[in-house]
Amino acid sequence: MSGRRRWLGTDRGPLLSTAFVLVAGLIIAGGSANSYFGSVVILALTYAIVTAGMAVQIGFSQQVVFSQSVFMGLGAYGVAVLNGKVGWPSLLALVVITIASGGVAWVIGKAVSGASGLALAVATLMFPLIAFGYLSYANWLGGSIGLPLTGTLWPGGSATANGILTVVIVAAVVFATTRLVASDIGLEMYTLGVSENTAQAMGVRTSRRRLELFILGSVLATLGGAVYAGTQLFVPPTLVQATAELSLLIMLFVGGRRSVLGAVLGAVGIQYFTGISNTISVHILLIEGVLITVVLLIEPDGVAGIVSSLWRRAAPRLPFAELVATDAAYVPTPGLGQGEEAGISGELAVAEETQTSAFRRHFAARRADEAAATTTLLEVRGVAKEYGGLVVLRDIDLTLPERGIFGLCGPNGAGKSTLLGIVGGSIRPSAGTVILAGEDITALPAAERFDRGVSRTFQAVRLIRGRTVLDNVAVACLRSQRSSLLRGIVISRLPRARADAMEALEYLGLGELAHREVGSLTLETQRMVELARAMASRPSLLLLDEPASGLSEIQRERLRELLRAIGEVTCVLLVEHDLDLIAAIAERILVLESGALVFTGTGEEFRSSELVNSLLIGASPTTTPGGEQ
Amino acid sequence: MPRSWTPRAGASAEPVGESASALAISNLSVTYGRVAAVHDVSFEVAEGDCVALIGPNGNGKSSIVMGIAGLVHRRGRVEIFGRPAPAGDVSFMPRHGFTLVPERRQLYPQLSVADNIVLGCFGRTRSLRRARASEAHRQALELFPELSGRMAQKAGTLSGGEQQMVAIARGLAADPRILAVDEPCLGLAETVSRRVYEVLRRIHESGRTLLIVEESPKRALQLADRQVEVRNGVVVRA
Amino acid sequence: MKLGNLIISGIVTGSIYAAFAACVALWYRVSNILNLAVGDFAMIGALGVDNLVRVHHWKLAPAIAATLGAVSLGAYLYDRIVLSLAQDGRTRQEGIVVTFFFTFALSFFLEGIAELLYGTDVHAAPAIWNGQSLSLGGGLHVDRAGVLVVAFAALVGVASVLVLRGTLQGKAVEACGENFFGARIVGIDNRKYRRLLFILSALLACVFGILESPITGYTYDSGAAISLTGFIAAAFAGFQKPGKAVVAGLSIGIIEALLGGYVSANYADTILYALLAAAVLIRPGAMGLDIVPE
Repeated sequence: MSGRRRWLGTDRGPLLSTAFVLVAGLIIAGGSANSYFGSVVILALTYAIVTAGMAVQIGFSQQVVFSQSVFMGLGAYGVAVLNGKVGWPSLLALVVITIASGGVAWVIGKAVSGASGLALAVATLMFPLIAFGYLSYANWLGGSIGLPLTGTLWPGGSATANGILTVVIVAAVVFATTRLVASDIGLEMYTLGVSENTAQAMGVRTSRRRLELFILGSVLATLGGAVYAGTQLFVPPTLVQATAELSLLIMLFVGGRRSVLGAVLGAVGIQYFTGISNTISVHILLIEGVLITVVLLIEPDGVAGIVSSLWRRAAPRLPFAELVATDAAYVPTPGLGQGEEAGISGELAVAEETQTSAFRRHFAARRADEAAATTTLLEVRGVAKEYGGLVVLRDIDLTLPERGIFGLCGPNGAGKSTLLGIVGGSIRPSAGTVILAGEDITALPAAERFDRGVSRTFQAVRLIRGRTVLDNVAVACLRSQRSSLLRGIVISRLPRARADAMEALEYLGLGELAHREVGSLTLETQRMVELARAMASRPSLLLLDEPASGLSEIQRERLRELLRAIGEVTCVLLVEHDLDLIAAIAERILVLESGALVFTGTGEEFRSSELVNSLLIGASPTTTPGGEQ
Repeated sequence: MPRSWTPRAGASAEPVGESASALAISNLSVTYGRVAAVHDVSFEVAEGDCVALIGPNGNGKSSIVMGIAGLVHRRGRVEIFGRPAPAGDVSFMPRHGFTLVPERRQLYPQLSVADNIVLGCFGRTRSLRRARASEAHRQALELFPELSGRMAQKAGTLSGGEQQMVAIARGLAADPRILAVDEPCLGLAETVSRRVYEVLRRIHESGRTLLIVEESPKRALQLADRQVEVRNGVVVRA
Repeated sequence: MKLGNLIISGIVTGSIYAAFAACVALWYRVSNILNLAVGDFAMIGALGVDNLVRVHHWKLAPAIAATLGAVSLGAYLYDRIVLSLAQDGRTRQEGIVVTFFFTFALSFFLEGIAELLYGTDVHAAPAIWNGQSLSLGGGLHVDRAGVLVVAFAALVGVASVLVLRGTLQGKAVEACGENFFGARIVGIDNRKYRRLLFILSALLACVFGILESPITGYTYDSGAAISLTGFIAAAFAGFQKPGKAVVAGLSIGIIEALLGGYVSANYADTILYALLAAAVLIRPGAMGLDIVPE
């Protein structure tokens, strides 16, 4: 089964979710807007606008903020003031306030963008207190009672008309958010939520995305508040209280925090039960406290998660399997043991020149380039790094050409990973410069170095769980770094990124694994996928951090062959403990000890060096146990 | 506490019983999530032995000793002096005479050297007074003259070699009959490593059982009576 | 002397913030969870004792004992059931979710219980040390309850320092905070300390609530604001150093009192929270908040 199916040029998921909401909503609003049930649903839908945004922000991208109730209040009070006091039509007020909230969110978001997850969460925790504290005594805003409105969203006051308008707005929000989540920008956001460092290493502009996310969540919350005001005709300050924030969180968590549709249904469900039962609404705090704890413990993805896993097991090929969760659909394979993995052929497709994918053509051209072996690509001059008083690297100089494999080894703590980090951009050197293809990149962050062709793998495998192999590799092919978040709603470049990723996977012989979920793979395969991801961006400089770690002898041989092939088309700087591996493939080996480069030479010189032998005891193949098998 | 804590002085004179087995490992498996780091490993360590656990990095050696110590989730059977150790109880092994000096030291950087060492007694007693007065604690301090002026210093400010000394001293403070040391020379210069092995030799000669995990076995093999080779989570040679 | 009296009342509330901040910081080091329910335990203490004495006509001493007992039991059960599942069980949770949401939920749960049992009115536990406020000379006054609060806070502070520095168990707690894995190496069971410190925090908070409520009065949702303020004070110490947290707590208490006295009684708290939120947003590094909890 291939990945997502597309209808009318868009992913199936968003269309189905939107259609469901639209149809169900119109039936209810059209038919029973005047009944109690109908009015509860309409009210719930105003909350659903907010929770849909929260699903994207908190659930999907893991940006934990507690400011939604306050922005909802901004929308509600904004419309109430413009309509009730100034006399504007509610709908116009809604539009104006929603747009204005973007500006407010931008200001707050900018203040926040340097702050990490924890600071953001802690600060926004105070927002409801501040807002409620102010509103309670602000007489011009109705004080502790609230503000009335004079006109509904759809002028004329008809419950049915307003209900239909609300449903249409909600459907539009669902459409936009589900499309965003399914797009290439969505993949960026998901990666960012899992690991900011990994995202940066793949070229994602994390601060910009975080700011955009904050603005999106805030604007949607404002919109929800505006619709609330326009349909309920009265805005009380309890809308911004901490308890209101809690209610929103409950709706999100119970419904399904990573699912937009789940968030919408969660809002409707919770409002419904609160509305129909007096007992429930009296004890609401207690119930909510227990509910959120239970959800977190048992099924973090809420009802959507439960439905999703049941459905997948029962009918993985049916369309709705993708609807209730935003994970890429995959068909789980019963776990394979260690050893041979189905799907990796012994031979690699790398050597074949007959294929004509753009990927292969790129690398074929590089292999043919005679001058590459002698043209300088990377220059490291005088690089040093210290933490407090501890000197980790001192005065490192090295030069690498455009092609070839270069080994970096040394005892643990010698500074190898630090040097790799400095070249890759995740660590700032205390002194010295890094020059790539003639450009001084010392001040550039990792994401911009990625754009210039630097790619890396990590010591501990950093793949994104819960997504397929294909999507994991696609992160490196996104080319969306300069796009704004909104573009993801309109057009998704994910299909093309996935196609590019597929080429990279096939290049390494991993094509059959494209739709497997990464958590189900063995360690060796995961490392290969990471390598594919690193290669997918067609890097000019590849930084590998202990790629052989945890691999068996046979697996290391395969890796050796693969690296040899890669070394013919790009420059590889390889940190490794396996000295046999390094000596076999590296054309030059550098040895670090206590932060200084103590040896540079060929494999031959390496093996016979006294210094190296005493430093890395057991370096000589004859003393490594089982080395010559 | 199940048994009283008698300070030891020199070689063990205790009657050994049916078997001289200090540690008996059977069918030990350690899995992290889906990754099986250690597969069905079995071996024995006799009292007074010095055993070197060797093999390339990332192949399961550390996981074996951590599994024995009860620090990671494990399956299988670990017996110490005939007693089966329950999985998941981190205080059982220190109480019954097994301590681990972990890879990369794992000291408490903001606490003083003296505090780091005295905390090693935690496995045996909860009283600070008794810990400080214990014979084992005093012996641990004696073994490392280079630490004598540094007792009040924060452990995080010491050099790598000194930190390794502190870590070993902490391991000895509980007066273990079996001391396991994981990569004692990680990140240390040659001269310091020699000093560390000198200390380990003295520890072995005083009658304690040693289990040393080493990636580069040359030094370990000089000291060890036996070696157990681990590749890919399985014992290849014992 | 208005300024002096404001500062004194600031010190009283500040001692509570300081104590809670220290509890939050210490518990975070041991458990990696941020306790957002601290203030609610104080509220339960105050309202619980008031309820038993005023409504059920118990004597003060048994009422206090019963309330403290109930709270310890509740805290024990919460750790045993919820936190153990969250951290030790098969459904292990990681990251920011565990750090926040569990105690966030607990806080509201406690409010719900309080609302149910005690209604929505303002109440206070009976004063333990009855009488007029004491005169310190120079126009300075301090409530007797305030004296108790500060004295208790000082006592607890000194006792904690003594225990942490002077006993092996205390050092073990510090070790848990310094190096989680290193603590397990020597046989320290972090889970037990997590449970113990949680119950102790709850009890301490209870006592503070009982002592302080005669001054301000509590209602079922008073706890949230106190939790949050103590929490922010702990944030100033990066949730790591109880000492810094104490200083932060006292300062915040004094600033709060000054704002109330000189700026506006209604908006004092609001302004304070805005200042705190701004501080967190603008200089998170200064508060050690640029670490992501993992």
